[in-house]
Amino acid sequence: MLEISSITVRFGGVVALNDVSARFDKPVNGIIGPNGAGKTTLMNVLSGFVQPSGGSVSRDGQDLLRLAPHRRAHWGLRRSFQKEEIADDLTVFENVLVQIDNSRTPMAEKRAEVERMLDLVGMAGRAGKIGADLSGFERRLTDVAKCMVGKPRVVMFDEPAGGMSVDESRELGALIRRIHAATGAQTLVIDHDVELIREVCEDTLVLDFGRRIAFGPTADVLADPKVKAAYLGTEEV
Amino acid sequence: MDRSLFRITRSGWAGLALAAFAIVILPSISSRFWLSVFTSAGCFTIAIAGVAFMYARLGMVSLTQVGLMGVGGWVALRLNYAFDFPFEVNMALAALTTMVFGWILALPALRMRGLYLALVTLMAAGGLEIIFATFQFPNGGDGFWGVQTGSGEAFRRPWIAQSPEAYLRYVIACAVLGFLLIELHRRLQPGRAWALIRRSEAAAMAAGVNVTLYKTWAFGIAGLLGGGAGALLAGSLGLLDDGTFRASESVLVFALAVVGGARYWQGAVVAALLYKVLPPLLNNWGVDADLAYIIFGAGLLHAVITAPDGIAGQIMGAVKGLSRRKERADA
Repeated sequence: MLEISSITVRFGGVVALNDVSARFDKPVNGIIGPNGAGKTTLMNVLSGFVQPSGGSVSRDGQDLLRLAPHRRAHWGLRRSFQKEEIADDLTVFENVLVQIDNSRTPMAEKRAEVERMLDLVGMAGRAGKIGADLSGFERRLTDVAKCMVGKPRVVMFDEPAGGMSVDESRELGALIRRIHAATGAQTLVIDHDVELIREVCEDTLVLDFGRRIAFGPTADVLADPKVKAAYLGTEEV
Repeated sequence: MDRSLFRITRSGWAGLALAAFAIVILPSISSRFWLSVFTSAGCFTIAIAGVAFMYARLGMVSLTQVGLMGVGGWVALRLNYAFDFPFEVNMALAALTTMVFGWILALPALRMRGLYLALVTLMAAGGLEIIFATFQFPNGGDGFWGVQTGSGEAFRRPWIAQSPEAYLRYVIACAVLGFLLIELHRRLQPGRAWALIRRSEAAAMAAGVNVTLYKTWAFGIAGLLGGGAGALLAGSLGLLDDGTFRASESVLVFALAVVGGARYWQGAVVAALLYKVLPPLLNNWGVDADLAYIIFGAGLLHAVITAPDGIAGQIMGAVKGLSRRKERADA
């Protein structure tokens, strides 16, 4: 169970996250909110790129905030960015392998794991292609495979369906749902695509202006009037 | 064992063919003057490969490379006069010392990027220039600095490369080893980490890459190559002069690495030929060698505006175009 307790982040006078808490215990969880709600800031706190002024993040007894960003990756935290961060001059295989390069597992096992995950995401046939030659969707699939190698514990996706067609978004959603079964990792998904969140996430946290306004089963949360108001606004009387 | 690690690409075969030509043919057709010029070009090829590698793999601009050559040269000369070690030991120790120097230089520079990193390295080059000008290079004198008035004992060359011809062959073989070292890194874990760091430091950290370690590593490799090149230059000339290692030369060497094409081994060769062979060539043709600076400037403008991969990138592009055309014709 990933537990976020009283996370507060300040950028100068702006409070980006204000005492946010949530206990994610489902395999796939969502974080939604309007622009500027603090979703990516929360992900940056989890990744170690932003230091909170207060609060804690823990999973399996490990206080994640005490680890440097690259050590969080060694621990089992995976992150996919809004823009797929695939190195143009590395092959698909190498782009995935880099995630477990630090591991002490024998190279043959690492290569076998990369091949297995590439097969799972449907990129096995393109393993030798370089990043520069991939389409946006292929880059995203490579990114997903990268998040799945090395026994991940928590996988985070930051707006993974951005710029995708409906079919691609659906395929990606199905893939995200398979991550837990394939690796045992818990998944956090940030996206504006409410349909994707509804389809793949069991629990969802809703942020607005850095505050938690709802958290619970996705269907209940999406029906919450406060959430609708945050997304659609309220009528001025 | 990963077989792709030892796969020789077309570009690799071309490099080996060029090295074979340079080792077998070049020394036998060159006069004493040109042997010296080509040997200097060989030494600078190694140093330029180091600075180009940092720029191409990590996007880091280092303007200290010629200063680092000076460090390597100083250590090699000092060891030569202080001990009876063979040349190879002196060169290895000089390269390793310069690698450590590169790491030390990396520490303050790691927090900086782009222009600021370039400025920090330029200041380091300026500092080295002052040290070299003040204390000079060892020539067999006493004390720590080892400087005496008048010429000292001759510098000991490798026992297998006593003649100028053999020494040129030796330098070319070292340059090949330098390129292989870079290529080996590119194909292994550091190469993958560097590629991701260049893409995005945040993405690299998220992938478990220790960005500080790998950036320091890159500075170390550039230092190792610069130091080795400095030791080889000391072996070529027998003594070193502070005028060779001015900060402005480091800037020029970096600019020429961009003109040559930092991503390719051919770029380092082109840059070294422009730097060391073009000026005497112009002199031979009765043209003022300073014209080379105008050519360098035009080359840099050309690279910045139209050829970001430099002359080597254009050559590689043309070769690829030709092979594609041939494939189409065959089909």
